[in-house]
Amino acid sequence: MALIATYAGKKRTVQLGIALALVAWVALDATGGGGEGWARVWARLPILLTGNGSGWPLSGGFALNVFLSLCAMAMAALLGTALGFGMLAKNRLVRVPCFFVMNFLRNSPWLVLLFAMLYIIPFNVRLFGVSIAIPAFAKAVIGLALPTAANFAEIIRGAVQSIHSGQWEAARALGYMPMAIYGRIILPQALRRMIPGWMNLYALLMIATSLATVTGIQDVITTLNTLLAMENERVIVYFYITALFLFFAFCYPLALLARRMEQSVKGDSL
Amino acid sequence: MFNLDYSWLADPVYQGWLIRGTLTTIELAFASSAIAFVIGLFGALALTLRIAWLDAVIELFVEVFRNTPPLLQMLFFYFTLSTVGLRMTDPATGVSVPLLSAFACALISLSLFGGALCIEAFRSGLDSLPRAVTEAARSLGYSRWQRFRRIEAPIASRICLPALTNIMTNQFKTTSQASVITVPELMYYAGQIYNDTFRTAEVMILVLFIYVSLVSLLSWGMVRIERVLAFPGYGKGA
Repeated sequence: MALIATYAGKKRTVQLGIALALVAWVALDATGGGGEGWARVWARLPILLTGNGSGWPLSGGFALNVFLSLCAMAMAALLGTALGFGMLAKNRLVRVPCFFVMNFLRNSPWLVLLFAMLYIIPFNVRLFGVSIAIPAFAKAVIGLALPTAANFAEIIRGAVQSIHSGQWEAARALGYMPMAIYGRIILPQALRRMIPGWMNLYALLMIATSLATVTGIQDVITTLNTLLAMENERVIVYFYITALFLFFAFCYPLALLARRMEQSVKGDSL
Repeated sequence: MFNLDYSWLADPVYQGWLIRGTLTTIELAFASSAIAFVIGLFGALALTLRIAWLDAVIELFVEVFRNTPPLLQMLFFYFTLSTVGLRMTDPATGVSVPLLSAFACALISLSLFGGALCIEAFRSGLDSLPRAVTEAARSLGYSRWQRFRRIEAPIASRICLPALTNIMTNQFKTTSQASVITVPELMYYAGQIYNDTFRTAEVMILVLFIYVSLVSLLSWGMVRIERVLAFPGYGKGA
């Protein structure tokens, strides 16, 4: 036990060392000509984060990625729940098509699905004689929500099926109705197992919002490309590192939290 | 509702593009998966050595590549590798050109991304090895490397085959993002075709089906391989 503790301690020291080395390297680079690059990044950071030079109102940039991921996740939760319970249905006519849809969406690349939605969904729809334009943002939300929904559904199915069959049998023996078995016995247990999976999925979705640049919305990558068109070649590296760091800073804590929750859920299997 | 017009598909030029694009996609996916596999194997092996600094470095590598968009990674490699210094002078024209092609950049970035995922997969595979197996190997006098090559790697790779299948299908799907840095794969040619024909919806539907069938075929094949390779007593065959 003492050995493990010192090993973890040693590792933490090394990690701290790496972090310090990175800071030192950046500082050294800054004194040797990189300072100008970081100054450019610093000047443009409000645009990169909010799509707006003064930082307010939020109109794009990384803030749009976050908003896009939240919208897509909400939509995926609705679709995915329907799909997930469809896959758990007893009726084959419901179950088989749901499986087919889930597999189709899971096996298609996010980017291709996004492109497909961009072109399949019409530019505007006529509803009761009123022409409504569909904004690129809505298409991006739908395009990202579809594969997320399939993964969401798979998490629901996996978690519900991981509940020991004894729970079902006991509930049935106690005279619970099928809906009550789900609502009072299975789902409360399964939910604990779904949440870490959903968090990982959300992190994955956040990463995938970078693809939404193909729809032309002013997300962080579109903004980045616009900005880079005005910068010289040497500075590009600093901008990319900044953009990568934005995503990392958002997704890494989520991944850590999900892992910790997974560990805590692991023990309570029955 | 839709007026789908697939008459352009009869044109041998477009057929050639689609086939060439599909082949490049497959090539990129398999090559990057193979390199990712090797990175994962050696990364996970390095983790078993329990050297604190190596462990920290590998963890940093894995977390950075797992938590940033592969699209940005690809753009980063594509645009920075050439500015950082990997350039050569073209002997014919005397112009300084990037040393690495778009394909090479995509291959490097996808391999590292997949490698990070593979390290995680192999690590959990090695972790789930029963202690008795490694202890038995040690008592039989296997050296560290022999033990890994003959005992641990064969069992662990079977345990984590389902995870590897996931990574491989993911690699396949991620190759579509290489079109952004002008790698001439399926997505790229799809763009070329609809720029020519303006049949955007038709092209995208077809390409979507090509990708889904390729990935489905791959995962079906991997499930077959899993079944053939399964050791009795380990994994799902138990």
